[in-house]
Amino acid sequence: MNRKSFLLGALALAVSTPVLAQMAPAIDQPVTITFYNYNLASAGLGGQATQNLIDEFMAANPNVTVEGVPYSSADGSRIQADLAAGLPVDLVQTVFSDLDFSVTNFGAKALEDITTDGELEAHMAGMHPNGTKLGVLNGKTYGMAYTFSTPVLFYNADLFRAAGLDPDNPPQTWAEVKEAALAIEEKTDAEGFTGGITGPGAVDWLFQGVVRSNNGEVISRDRTTLKFAEPESVEAVAMLRDLYDAGVYENYDYSGAMEGMASGHLGMYLQTSALQGSLVSGAEGNYELRATTMPRFGDKPTRPNNSGSALTIHTADPLKQRAAWELMKFLTSEYGYTIITSQIGYLPLRPAIVDDPKYLKDWIAEHPLVEPNLEQLDRLEPWDPMPGPNYRQVVKTMMDAVEMSIFGGADIEPTLIDAQANAQALMP
Amino acid sequence: MAIAASAPVQRRRINQARFSPWLYLAPAILTLVVWIYWPLVDAFRLSFFQWNMLPTSPQTFVGWDNYQRIFALPKFWQALRNTGIYVLGLLPLAVLIPLALAIYTHDLSPRLRNIYRAIIFVPMIIAPVVAAAVWRWLLDPNYGMVNALIEWFGAEPVKFLSDPKVAIWTIIAITGWKLIGFSTLILSAANANINPALLEAARMDGASKWEIIRDIRLPLLSSSVLFLVMMTILLGAQWSFGYINVLTGGGPLGATTNIYYLLWDFGFSTMSVGWGSAAAVILFLGFGALAFVLFRLIDRYSFHDN
Amino acid sequence: MTTDAIKAQLTLARPLRRKAAEGIGLNSAAGHLVMVLLSIVCLFPVYWMVATSLRPANAIFETSLWPTTMSLENYTYALDSIPILRMLINTLVVSALTTVVQLLTGLLAAYAFARWRFRFDSLVYTAVALTWLVPFQVVMIPNYLLIAQMGLLDTISALILPNFASALAILLLAQAMRSFPKEVVEAARMDGAGSWRILWGVMVPNLRGTIASLAILIFISTWNEYFWPLLLTRTADNSVIQIGIQMFMTSEGNQWGPLMAASTLASLPVLVIYIVLQRQVIQSFMKSGIR
Repeated sequence: MNRKSFLLGALALAVSTPVLAQMAPAIDQPVTITFYNYNLASAGLGGQATQNLIDEFMAANPNVTVEGVPYSSADGSRIQADLAAGLPVDLVQTVFSDLDFSVTNFGAKALEDITTDGELEAHMAGMHPNGTKLGVLNGKTYGMAYTFSTPVLFYNADLFRAAGLDPDNPPQTWAEVKEAALAIEEKTDAEGFTGGITGPGAVDWLFQGVVRSNNGEVISRDRTTLKFAEPESVEAVAMLRDLYDAGVYENYDYSGAMEGMASGHLGMYLQTSALQGSLVSGAEGNYELRATTMPRFGDKPTRPNNSGSALTIHTADPLKQRAAWELMKFLTSEYGYTIITSQIGYLPLRPAIVDDPKYLKDWIAEHPLVEPNLEQLDRLEPWDPMPGPNYRQVVKTMMDAVEMSIFGGADIEPTLIDAQANAQALMP
Repeated sequence: MAIAASAPVQRRRINQARFSPWLYLAPAILTLVVWIYWPLVDAFRLSFFQWNMLPTSPQTFVGWDNYQRIFALPKFWQALRNTGIYVLGLLPLAVLIPLALAIYTHDLSPRLRNIYRAIIFVPMIIAPVVAAAVWRWLLDPNYGMVNALIEWFGAEPVKFLSDPKVAIWTIIAITGWKLIGFSTLILSAANANINPALLEAARMDGASKWEIIRDIRLPLLSSSVLFLVMMTILLGAQWSFGYINVLTGGGPLGATTNIYYLLWDFGFSTMSVGWGSAAAVILFLGFGALAFVLFRLIDRYSFHDN
Repeated sequence: MTTDAIKAQLTLARPLRRKAAEGIGLNSAAGHLVMVLLSIVCLFPVYWMVATSLRPANAIFETSLWPTTMSLENYTYALDSIPILRMLINTLVVSALTTVVQLLTGLLAAYAFARWRFRFDSLVYTAVALTWLVPFQVVMIPNYLLIAQMGLLDTISALILPNFASALAILLLAQAMRSFPKEVVEAARMDGAGSWRILWGVMVPNLRGTIASLAILIFISTWNEYFWPLLLTRTADNSVIQIGIQMFMTSEGNQWGPLMAASTLASLPVLVIYIVLQRQVIQSFMKSGIR
């Protein structure tokens, strides 16, 4: 692209359009938008399905050219660098924990501000209300839930049978998880349980859900005060510590847990349902892989939260906003979620398509593993992004302390209180 | 030396000596200044600011905040200690074993020597991510070959990557595995360049093989050895970075984190330019000071062969 | 026979030394044993990579030494999902050009350091050495911005430009040149050779061994370069093989089979180049040794 003309164009737009302008009503001329997507950064089905969706969209909207830009979800440096270099960043697949930073620094736009009246509501009709609120921040919808999932407890039914457990009645509470894990450790060569709660790449999504399920929270509702050292949270961590002390909760290395489960050496594994694909490929022909809902604390109903990403619009150009919005609508349509669920491995945000033979009915029948996931949609709560420029350090500080508390023999309460004070100092 | 040089020639050479070196240096210096020093100087400045790098956002001056935060990281001292362990653990793998290999293989028949050296060099060819992945596989407590072997000998399987006491040595071993070939190559080259006349003379004097190694080879190899020791001390933390990143993420419980990884984790990977820049400055000055001390030590104690 | 005779003479003359000589004889068997073990440690992971790449998806965690069922499905999958050939060619071009340019700038700079004493020479030398200590991450984003300003994003040249010079090349070559006999240089100058001709006519031919081994090192480290290409490339067609390999590692689980297949394909060219060049290196060692 010719940089000069782009800059001039941007300048002209900045001058001619008022702040908070709405997007163009229609795409009446050719337009190119960029779509920063981390599925495109990987080979195989997820990337291919994403590219196919983009291609289908372009075929249906000949005026729009979508330039897919792969980036690594582990760090947003590509997006940051491109914005700093003045390159157009129009539509982004944003991990939920980055949403706050994305709004305050990368200029993600509130959909209420840029869509024309009724458009947003019309598109959201038919979406699960718990899903639409995932991308809401400070009262406005910045992200449209895109590829997301919930934590499920994968378990190895063969190991359950070998340990004298009933695979049709998998553990539903943490106490039952401990019992089952002890039985597996005792009667088989396999490890009992592990979860992707701590460790690199885990961020804090699963931990947030575990703490919340004990009616605690890691951060206050208004996202100003950290609360992961409060009694409910300490109790949740102590429960996990107890699993470790009982010898049934293995602190695996980075990908060890995933492969332990895939290779049939692990009884139970609490992790995002997005792993389903790779676990199934390891299990096929070797053992029976099943899944159930996330374990609860006693009688308290679980309050799982999502992992994954939302779509955010960053461009200020009305025409590009329109194109990005149309692409966003296409990707989160009945058809879009059908592909996302069946080929990329995430959840359908539109519950109706699950029973619709036109979309997912047959696929769900063939893939029962996804069911606990759908069940949890009804209790889904948002994965709260930490605020401020130091949000990643806040998460790391918290999760380091949690890991030390569960596996490192540290005194739980003082460790968490200390970390909370340190992390709070990094909050805005 | 240049007794015959007459006055005009002398002047020309002085002129030449003034400009020529810079002409020869120009391409390299230009590259290093543009791509390394310029950003580094900027990093010094930015380490006192909070900024997200976007031209539309303000750069907020925060003084020493970024530095204070880094030094206050709970894992900072653990990482520093681990950095020392990495260096100590890598030295035998990156220097001693390759030295033995270079000397040992030198006296083998050319065919055998080539085969051994070629094999030792193979790990270096394997991409770091792949090396990490394959070793993770081999070391897995459940289905790894190494543990199958250990169990075959009747011992308990070792949790190479998830046992906090063992994990750091696992990372060191994998880093070293990749390095042996490089070091052996450097030392073999140096060893092969030793003037055969010297060795012949010693042999004529009736020196044994060991004496030749001790009195001739090792002293003549000392500059290469020191070079490798320096590299290991200064860059060991960087070499292991990729394996820490792929295999353990610094865990379990921070047992494998080193100063380079920690600062990357809290600085560079977090999109806040201030933290990253401060981390870079700390690394640069810290290792720079270390390098200075080492150079002084080498100057004082090293063997000069000419 | 003659060596035996000499040995006998030596042992006769110095009984003490016999022990050492015998020790070497014993050691050589032990030595070979150690070498064979070491060779296994060096080679087995590579073998395992190839073996795994041949296992079908549900047999990927098997521990049999030889794959019980073999299939090329990982290779077809890998070849289908990323443009491996294109990536290999890109990597080859980048690695080869980087090697040549780094050697050139390295030779020139090293020559300046080895040949002349000039104002600030040790300062500049230190500055060159210190670039080694600059964490790559700190220069990465500024370099990216510069590349963007030059309009070179998503190009092969962008992968090469920042690597036009390296401390490794400069320092290693300077070290080699400094230990080069000064009399030879002096003699060439007496013959009326200018500094340029001394460099290319006298120095370079005599440094073939060092240059060849350095070339291998640069080539391989460029081939294995990962962080910079990851930030830079936007399309698979303009990308290098390390990025291709990485594409099979995702947070949703690694696709081990295709990963190992892609890795095998990525390692093969380097392995071949190395085996060919290894002979060259040894030969040039020999030549420089004889002189």
